[in-house]
Amino acid sequence: MLAQRLQLNKEKTKLKVKFDFVIHWLWTIVFSLLALSGLAMVGAKYGWVLQYDIAKADYVHRVLSAVFVILTFISIVYEVSRAIKNDNKKLTWFMIGKGGYQLFTLITTLIFIITGVIIWVCMDSNMAAVAFALYIHEKLTYLVLASVVWHIYKKCHALIWPVKKQDRNLKKNIAGAK
Amino acid sequence: MMQKPLFKIFIWVISTAFFFLASAVIISALAPEPSEKQIMSFMSGMMNAMSSSMMGLSMSLEQDTDLKSLINTAAAVTIPLILLATLFGLLLKLRRKKYAR
Repeated sequence: MLAQRLQLNKEKTKLKVKFDFVIHWLWTIVFSLLALSGLAMVGAKYGWVLQYDIAKADYVHRVLSAVFVILTFISIVYEVSRAIKNDNKKLTWFMIGKGGYQLFTLITTLIFIITGVIIWVCMDSNMAAVAFALYIHEKLTYLVLASVVWHIYKKCHALIWPVKKQDRNLKKNIAGAK
Repeated sequence: MMQKPLFKIFIWVISTAFFFLASAVIISALAPEPSEKQIMSFMSGMMNAMSSSMMGLSMSLEQDTDLKSLINTAAAVTIPLILLATLFGLLLKLRRKKYAR
């Protein structure tokens, strides 16, 4: 009996990390690095961001864009499988979804990927397409960066440092003594 | 997880990075026209990228027929292998589900 209870307690205290939570933060890391490396390549005005090391920026941007596409693909497959199963449970951490900021992220991500592919594939053949895709890719980056700052502002409670239990008890005792 | 101190630090770092990026955009967009030195640094950075990064690699790959054929052969072997492995994995999972019932 006691062993069973101990086992139950162990399971309760075990750290449960959800899929949407992991994808959200992986996505965040990849996007921040993509934005940093991409900004350095915008032009001479922006090169200072990475000390004009365009080779490194280009390398990082190309490698991470592949990771970004894979993460998007996994997320879309997950969302579609949920739709097939009629699973309407709201995933609070997921980046893509049917409405609000999740829908905005889905649309902007798809535009990023499409324009990125055009830039990569048509670099040697169709310069007009590359110029148009580059324009959209760049302006969208500014819009998404602004939206991320707004997103951080809306979710700023996540930045609050946790209050220790001991501190809380101490405060209670002090309040009680008064 | 969200209450772990290390994770809090991580969130702070990421948030700060995004604020840095947003401010970098504002600073660069509102900055005066780039100087000749800045333009030269950017151009030489681009030239370096042409020779020593993936941009240069993809350009040299277009001209190297041997390497191109090698990559095509490797892809022709690897892609069916990946598909087979995925299929096998799915089959295995379905079989396990069936026996679990």
